[in-house]
Amino acid sequence: MLNIDSLSKSYGKKTILDELSFSIEQGEIVGLVGENGAGKSTLLKTLATLQLPTMGTITLDGMSYGTQRKTVRKNIGFVPQEIAIWDEFTVEENMVFFEKLSWKKKNNTQLKQLCLDMNLEKWKDPVKTLSGGMKRKLNLAISLIHDPTLLLLDEPTVGIDLKSRKEIGNYLKNQAINNGRTILYTSHDMDEIIHLCDRVLCIGNDPFYQEILKDAEKDVIIM
Amino acid sequence: MMNILQTRLIHWKRQWVSLLFWLLFPIISTLLIIQLTSFIQEDSKVPVGIVLQEDTALATTLYESIKQTPLIRVHDLDEHEALAQLEKHQLDSVFVIHNGYEANIQKNSRNHLITSYRSDLSFAYTPVKEMIVSFVQQDTGRSKAAYIVKDLSDTYGGGQQWNWKDVVSKSVDIQKKEDLLRTTFSFTDGSPTASDDEVIQFKPWGLWALFSLLSTLLLFDWLIKENRLSILPRFAFIRISFKNYMLQNALFYTILCIIFDGLALLTFYFVIHEPISLGLIAAMLSYRIMLNAGAFVLAICFKNLYLYYSTSFALVLLFAISSGAIMPIDGIINRVPWVEFLNPIYPFLQNNVVNLWLLLFAVWIISWYVRKEKFDA
Repeated sequence: MLNIDSLSKSYGKKTILDELSFSIEQGEIVGLVGENGAGKSTLLKTLATLQLPTMGTITLDGMSYGTQRKTVRKNIGFVPQEIAIWDEFTVEENMVFFEKLSWKKKNNTQLKQLCLDMNLEKWKDPVKTLSGGMKRKLNLAISLIHDPTLLLLDEPTVGIDLKSRKEIGNYLKNQAINNGRTILYTSHDMDEIIHLCDRVLCIGNDPFYQEILKDAEKDVIIM
Repeated sequence: MMNILQTRLIHWKRQWVSLLFWLLFPIISTLLIIQLTSFIQEDSKVPVGIVLQEDTALATTLYESIKQTPLIRVHDLDEHEALAQLEKHQLDSVFVIHNGYEANIQKNSRNHLITSYRSDLSFAYTPVKEMIVSFVQQDTGRSKAAYIVKDLSDTYGGGQQWNWKDVVSKSVDIQKKEDLLRTTFSFTDGSPTASDDEVIQFKPWGLWALFSLLSTLLLFDWLIKENRLSILPRFAFIRISFKNYMLQNALFYTILCIIFDGLALLTFYFVIHEPISLGLIAAMLSYRIMLNAGAFVLAICFKNLYLYYSTSFALVLLFAISSGAIMPIDGIINRVPWVEFLNPIYPFLQNNVVNLWLLLFAVWIISWYVRKEKFDA
């Protein structure tokens, strides 16, 4: 379970996140929406331990971000918005590369299965020859090598075809239900958010998002 | 460490051609330049025909002296053949050492010892003639001196009786031991500038040092290629920090470079007969670590690959000029002595293990390492 209590983040005098408090249960998929500059990426990076909060406390399954940062990181899978893979490698080489440096050991069969689970079948193909959707899947697969309990995804389906979106969405749903992974997901695609997420966090006071979410039968938290 | 090596092998598997090229580049380039300059020098020597009509000691010595002169390629021919080649301009000039050369010198007779021939296209006749005349004068002078010594010995009846041969051989010994003429022209490490048979002689280790500098800088472009902003966040969620990853990989590169340095040592020993010594090995090791540390420091300062390449080439050019590895820099060092201390190649050329640059780079890398990583929040 992820617990956030009075979280604030400022850059100099500019406050981006102002005393946010919420929690996400294990196995829950939570969507994070808001206009550009509202602080979605800042919140995600802070929850991913890539930035220190200015104030507030965060805990993951009882582990404090302040004192047990290294242990917390072992339980986080972060999928950056930019595709963070080696373009010149094949899918297999990318998976093996990050597995070798991972906290958790996996053999080639397990790595291949991880890719197959999200319909990424081109195991031996160089990444540069893959479609955008395939690259996004690989980007996600690498983040899952160490079996994290919390998965943070920063617009993981941006710029890809509908089929790949559906496949990634189904995979994430499956991970939450069957493996109990906690997922926090940012996207500008409201249909995707409504379809995929159990709850929605809306950052900022943009009435546009609030209007759309009003009709959705979802638990919405406005922050 | 094994895991990081395995990740490096994935990279090397894709880059093995360029990797091998840059690792072998210092060895191949050095050998090529050494062999090429040697070939060109041999080919550009003035062809001179020598006709040796007697095989006495003095005549043979004169022939050998001419043969060992730089810029002259001696053809040992009979007179008929030599003149035929001169007519065809295959020879620049012909010198006939006449029968009775030694006897005439011993008799202190200086006339008609050698006959020379030239053609209308002989461009080096005069300096070659002057040179041969100087050799002959040396022999005649020595002979005359021997007679004087012998006469003095006979006249004043010293305890020891000298004959002509003893005096001449003693004179030759003294000439060999005493450097009667000496120039101050030398390389920075004090090694002789050229052997007797070569005019321009590149120092193999000087060339190797420069080519190694270039190849190391270009090999270390992996730091810029892999220092991608998109990849960096991944390192927060794996066992090793990005800085650790880079340092350990730099270590693998250093080990690989040391292996190829060993290969250079053996190649130069067997191909161009460069001696191997413990001092050289230690200096080479120190130089290698300094090079890789320097390339590491430079590469982490750059984000743009092409700017890094340009800087690398500029640095190599600068150090090539200021190190004394290729051209003697006595003139510069006499006027600006600190130039040699600023040059990182200089200690290696001096066979010196202590390199201030190595210490500087080590301090730099340590301070870079202890600085907080961007994603280590």
